[in-house]
Amino acid sequence: MHLVRDRAYEFGVRGIDPTKIWFDLESAVARKDKIVQDIVDGIYGWIKPNNRITFLRGQAEFTSPVDIRVDGQQITAVKSVIATGSRTADVQIPGLAKIGYLTNRDALMLQKVPASLIVIGGGYIGIEFAQMYARFGTDVTILSRSPLLMRHEEPELSERLAQVLTAEGIDVQLGATAVSAIKEGPHKVIITEIDGQAHRFKAEEVLYAAGRVPRVEGLGLEQAGVAVGPQGIIYDETLRTTAVNIWSLGDVNGGAMFTHRATYDGPIVALNAIKDAGRTVDYRVVPRAVFTQPALAGVGLTEAEALAAGYEVKVGTALFAHSGRAKAIGETEGMLKFIADAETGELLGGHILGPHADILIHQVVTAMYNKGTAESLYKSIHIHPTLSEMVKDAAKKLR
Amino acid sequence: MKQFDLVVIGAGQGGLPAAALAARLGANIALIEMGEVGGT
Ligand SMILES: Cc1cc2nc3c(=O)[nH]c(=O)nc-3n(C[C@H](O)[C@H](O)[C@H](O)COP(=O)(O)OP(=O)(O)OC[C@H]3O[C@@H](n4cnc5c(N)ncnc54)[C@H](O)[C@@H]3O)c2cc1C
Repeated sequence: MHLVRDRAYEFGVRGIDPTKIWFDLESAVARKDKIVQDIVDGIYGWIKPNNRITFLRGQAEFTSPVDIRVDGQQITAVKSVIATGSRTADVQIPGLAKIGYLTNRDALMLQKVPASLIVIGGGYIGIEFAQMYARFGTDVTILSRSPLLMRHEEPELSERLAQVLTAEGIDVQLGATAVSAIKEGPHKVIITEIDGQAHRFKAEEVLYAAGRVPRVEGLGLEQAGVAVGPQGIIYDETLRTTAVNIWSLGDVNGGAMFTHRATYDGPIVALNAIKDAGRTVDYRVVPRAVFTQPALAGVGLTEAEALAAGYEVKVGTALFAHSGRAKAIGETEGMLKFIADAETGELLGGHILGPHADILIHQVVTAMYNKGTAESLYKSIHIHPTLSEMVKDAAKKLR
Repeated sequence: MKQFDLVVIGAGQGGLPAAALAARLGANIALIEMGEVGGT
């Protein structure tokens, strides 16, 4: 709420009494529920009238490669698609299950803003919820086992993001391993190891957001002849599993667990299963984003990854603080960092922390998809005054 | 016992577009979901 107040004042709004504004979580949750319900209704809206689709509610389990049981009912499947997604990883912290914790699902259904919250996990789910609740007025602590938030992203940018969150009042603890949990009066205490020392973090609620795993249990995959590896279901480049008549897609295959990956996979599986089209997946360029403010988006390799892969690299960076548009909207925090192959000029990776990073990254995505160099980014004319000019700027600076 | 050309297990982000296109391609499909459609 302080943010709304301060920003409104900055933009010239007067007459808001800071003591008279408050945030009503119940209304916000009701608004979210309505949006979700509209989406769900929309889905039933096209499934139900489709006379080629029979919708069955229940938990499916293979009893053979062609037989599936759905809550007691038995059906025969000439071909199948496993699209069962992922679930929150099992809690490994002694005591936590006993004292109770929130999952991401619960954290979207609270009716009251908790006074304090410990978020276990420094990945995108943990960070997004941490900032959201901090902005609702909760005292938030992030416990990240990795010494970096978003450990697979460009370190320079994730360090900046950690600084931004810290400046907002979030207690960001890096290299912090939660080892056990106890209850102390109304509070939950997470005993945490940092640099070999035990620390205690205390809060009203705990959100467990330390990773997701493919949902393969209870599916009867052995009876189906579908093999599972350490990442998830084992699949070939046509998304076929080890069973000739069964395909799998999305989160259950592990790797890039994103909606845009699952929606990319879906039609490929349909073509291969129904038309025997032999379509192969192309995962060379899969972008990702963290919807914090500023947002963090990335595609391809980080500088360290490119060096480790044996490339000689060129690096280009630019700061949003130098963008007129960023100044105008009052969001100057952040930077861009692009990496290219020094020999061929081919773009190897793009990383953006800043306003609308989730949108801006797509210029890099399309260039990289075409195995392009940065030339198309810095030689093409970009509209002024836009944040996109910063993409051009960072590309021009590659050296 | 009912038989289908294609059974899609999970009506989430990937299962839905798979079922939608398979239906357009003429297959007779069962779409199974244990929770709510739309996925995670
Ligand atoms: C908190 C959170 C935030 C996220 N934010 C983003 C984001 O901003 N951008 C992004 O790209 N991705 C995001 N993701 C990831 C995204 O939700 C997943 O990558 C995506 O939903 C995967 O699609 P899927 O089809 O593989 O699985 P899902 O969409 O999860 O669908 C799987 C479906 O299968 C059903 N199911 C499972 N087992 C069975 C069974 N035996 N029988 C019948 N039905 C079954 C489940 O009920 C579920 O409906 C987020 C995930 C979480 C948890």
